[in-house]
Amino acid sequence: MRSWLKSWKARLLLVLAVVGPGFITANVDNDAGGIFTYSQAGAQFGYTLLWTMIPITIALIVVQEMCARLGAVTGKGLSDLIREEFGFRITFFVMVTLVITNYGNIVAEFAGIASSLQLFGWSKYIVVPVCALLVWGLVVRGTYASIEKIFLTASAFYVCYIIAGVLAHPDWKAAFFATVTRPEASGIRNYGYLFTVVGLIGTTIAPWMQFYLQASVVEKGITAKQYRASRWDVILGCVFTDVVAWFIIVACAATLYATRHYNIGSAADAAQALRPLAGEYAYLLFAFGLFNASFFAASVLPISTAYAVCEGLGFESGLDKKFHEAPVFYWLYTVLIVVGAGALLIPRLPLIYVSVLSQVVNGVVLPFVLIFMLLLTNDRELMGEHTNSRTFNVIAWTTVVVVILMTLAMFFDRRQSNESPGASSMTRTPAALTS
Amino acid sequence: MSLVALSELLGATVRDASGTVRGRVREVAIAPGEHPTRIAFLLVHTPDGERVLPAASLKSAGPTVRTIDDSARWDRFSPSDGVLLLKRDLLDQQIIDVHGRKVVRVNDVELDSTPVNSHLDLSVIAVDVGARGAIRRLTKGVVPSFTMRALLERIPPRVIPWQYVDLLETDPSRRVKLKIVYEGLSKLHPADIADIVEDLPPAEREAVFETIDEEVAAEALEELDPKVQVSIVESLDSDRAADIVEEMDPDAAADLLEKLPEDRSGQILKEMEPEERIEVSQLLEFGKNTAAGRMTTEFIAVADNLTVTDAIDALKKFEGTREALATIYIYDVAYRITGAVPLVKIALSAPDARLWALREEAVTCYPDTPDDEVAGLFDKYNLVTLAVIDQDQRLAGIITADDVITMLRHAK
Repeated sequence: MRSWLKSWKARLLLVLAVVGPGFITANVDNDAGGIFTYSQAGAQFGYTLLWTMIPITIALIVVQEMCARLGAVTGKGLSDLIREEFGFRITFFVMVTLVITNYGNIVAEFAGIASSLQLFGWSKYIVVPVCALLVWGLVVRGTYASIEKIFLTASAFYVCYIIAGVLAHPDWKAAFFATVTRPEASGIRNYGYLFTVVGLIGTTIAPWMQFYLQASVVEKGITAKQYRASRWDVILGCVFTDVVAWFIIVACAATLYATRHYNIGSAADAAQALRPLAGEYAYLLFAFGLFNASFFAASVLPISTAYAVCEGLGFESGLDKKFHEAPVFYWLYTVLIVVGAGALLIPRLPLIYVSVLSQVVNGVVLPFVLIFMLLLTNDRELMGEHTNSRTFNVIAWTTVVVVILMTLAMFFDRRQSNESPGASSMTRTPAALTS
Repeated sequence: MSLVALSELLGATVRDASGTVRGRVREVAIAPGEHPTRIAFLLVHTPDGERVLPAASLKSAGPTVRTIDDSARWDRFSPSDGVLLLKRDLLDQQIIDVHGRKVVRVNDVELDSTPVNSHLDLSVIAVDVGARGAIRRLTKGVVPSFTMRALLERIPPRVIPWQYVDLLETDPSRRVKLKIVYEGLSKLHPADIADIVEDLPPAEREAVFETIDEEVAAEALEELDPKVQVSIVESLDSDRAADIVEEMDPDAAADLLEKLPEDRSGQILKEMEPEERIEVSQLLEFGKNTAAGRMTTEFIAVADNLTVTDAIDALKKFEGTREALATIYIYDVAYRITGAVPLVKIALSAPDARLWALREEAVTCYPDTPDDEVAGLFDKYNLVTLAVIDQDQRLAGIITADDVITMLRHAK
């Protein structure tokens, strides 16, 4: 017994030592946009979209592994590499796209903060500016690094979804079959369906994560030699993200979809998914989890965007520099937060819709970031013996092609459908798909 | 003379003596073995493959390149390690700006073209790291170049003169062929070198530490963050690592070796000169957060019956750090410490004055005195150096104030 305990302990320590960039990235990945997109998928389509989880997980592992490997082998960030290999003009357009996409995500994080605190009846006109100021200060004053562990620990909140999912007595058999069966072909003609699928892909394999993960690997000083251990960190993180995602969808399907609450209009709706676990207090639990996730990601996204852009375009960057030494870096960081949080002050902004939309934009942009990563990871001069294996290339290129096709189909469906685009498309009952 | 930007030259059409278009410029090359700044040749992409257009055949260079001879005389290109290709090796890459003491990315390269006799002399004069080069490259081919030129003139340039540019090259043999020796970098203050190195990717860090003078490398290494120190030393081969560690302050060397894996630090110790090896391995045996772990064994001590002249001789022979020079310790016939003479007193006293007469009481501690007490002594007596003595009252080493400041900052 004793020796068993000891070896178990040793194994746990081994895992903990490896837990690093991959696991943190995975946790930041389950942000406000993620929670709302998964919730919406479960509420609107029940178990129907669970089939996406396995392919998304495989693609996520492949993509994240490529990033971590790029970082470990070259010791450079993704934007540095794009600049060095593809020149100034291409880098410029990639960075403009990245700023726009990430801006959407930042708005989604502040939307998460606003809607989580709305559950307590606190006005967004007060909490959003206060939180924006808090985020700005925490990062610039360097306190963020010391409180990262608190965020990370609080992420254990996601376990609530697993418990709630179990307590809701879902139809396990149906959920399981929905996860492993192939999707129904009719989905391709439904705008709302494709919108949600692209959103699911975009929120799970978000473009900003690739920049962030690679930067973290470089920052941690992981080299090609130590890389083997780090690979497990990445895989573990990816699996964790998607297990949580699966349970969020199942919990929402078993509660919201089952009671015909197909549309999540506010955080209060989404909180209902936790009812089987927390009953009347579900909203408290949800508010806590959503706030933590949103604030965590809001602290990470603007700064990592500022780093990526400044490194790619050759501006001075770094929190160890003074404001006048790295003006572009600090201005970009500040403007992203101010304008990101500022968008929330627009009256009657549909918070949930904006969050999900930002994830769809992630999905649309993803293939282009992936193409650059694929070209880089297959460059023998750059990667030496660490170039992609054929399997990796097949999976990654398939992801690129599938996501592009889905995006095209989505825009095509939207032009075909007569209904007004936007928020209302999410409210449609997908009866035809679930029969 | 007039200025040409590399980005204008790249992709420019090449017309030969008869005015016929022969191809487009693909690369611009310097052969550092022949001349450090002059362009040796342009690489031209012709329907007939890559051709070398020698700079001596140039008549004009700009959006159109004209030559004085016929393309039939241009050789085929065969890649060589010994030439610096400006597009591949410089454009968009990171370089060290020695004057500004930082790592920057190259947006464009400025070339000077001066007509000499019948041909054109092209040479690199600066790299552009500012908005001018960036906008030029962004708008190239979209906005007509003559309108752009006028607009770009209005943007204040941010350029680094070529003599202040240190290139980064990770391939050691290529570094030799291209004559990259980090001459400018080596002249900077070690703390500035350390700042620059921290901004570089691992392979480039290794390149710098493989190339620069051991003594400079040692001083810069001491200034680096311990984590970075370890990764650099691990990446170097033991022979080179030992050369650098030898030049380090023994206490800093011991601190560093302690953080390395045991087999690695063993290898490095084995490669070191016996004298330095013994000193460092002694320090390694002491506890980390005690006086012994902080002290250096390089200090000045002379017999107390000697004179100021003798002390000055000892100062001249001393090879340790400058901080250790602040105090001259004196000892009796049994080598027991009997006092300390500040450097100021030596400077102000007559050459034949006895050291014994100049002495002040030496503040001392033992090798096992913990860090906080050491700091306390420095504070209380306003020390510059503190003597560490053994049970027999003999001087084992000294701690200098700069080490205490580092220690206090790290303790925070």
